[in-house]
Amino acid sequence: MAEAIQKKLQSELEKYQQLQKDVSKSMSARQKLEAQLTENNIVKEELNLLDSENTVFKLIGPVLVKQDLDEAKATVSKRLEYINGEIQRYETLLKDLERKSDQHREVLTSLQQEYQRAQGRAAGKV
Amino acid sequence: MAVNLTELSLPQLEGLKTQLDQETEFLTSSIGQLKVVQTKYVEAKDSISVLNKDNAGKELLVPLTSSMYVPGTLNDVEHVLVDVGTGYYVEKNVEDTKEFFKRKIDFLTKQIEKIQPALQEKHAMKQAVIEVMNMKIQQLHTQQTPQSGTTKA
Repeated sequence: MAEAIQKKLQSELEKYQQLQKDVSKSMSARQKLEAQLTENNIVKEELNLLDSENTVFKLIGPVLVKQDLDEAKATVSKRLEYINGEIQRYETLLKDLERKSDQHREVLTSLQQEYQRAQGRAAGKV
Repeated sequence: MAVNLTELSLPQLEGLKTQLDQETEFLTSSIGQLKVVQTKYVEAKDSISVLNKDNAGKELLVPLTSSMYVPGTLNDVEHVLVDVGTGYYVEKNVEDTKEFFKRKIDFLTKQIEKIQPALQEKHAMKQAVIEVMNMKIQQLHTQQTPQSGTTKA
């Protein structure tokens, strides 16, 4: 009896640990997105301060390529949109993961109690 | 915080202290990073002052690598290319560039000023936690050795 529960406990624990790994992975991905969002916002502000006299270059690989100011602005705006969307996506993903890990935690604690009870019974028999 | 520190147990306090330790460390390193970047901008702003009318047409040595230089002449003292982030470079005149650096330096100063109070708060909290921990440990000691405790008292 106790052994079966122990096995189940083990597998549940592994699942829970995997879940935790996913959580921290999503967390760091979200943080990276946040940093990108800040950087792009700063670039957008800078581009908004420019006028047609300023030439904008885009670094592509090792070369600087001349680019239209409006085009650059459009690119950054599009990028901001994308990043915001991604952040939203990760937000829902994280919420989902958190809910799942809460459930898992409950299952784990009940299994642990069961295991302890089973062990106590086994010890009592001996 | 609404929680009374004295009501927490020693392991809980220990956990709280580690957490506060991590937080203060994170904030300190953030401030450090911001200061490094700020120094870079200050240096860039200083070095741009070389670009004035007096130096136009003068000869200079351009570093191709850190150990090899080629002679050149300073042709344009009015325009520079500034990296504004995410791979975008903008050609600006010297005045605008100085403004740009000033903006960046001010921005960083503001960010540092935002973090500083948070860091101080965490520090104060950590001190409080350590104090309560010391108190608890002392209490434990006197409880464990009541004899010596009473004789001392």
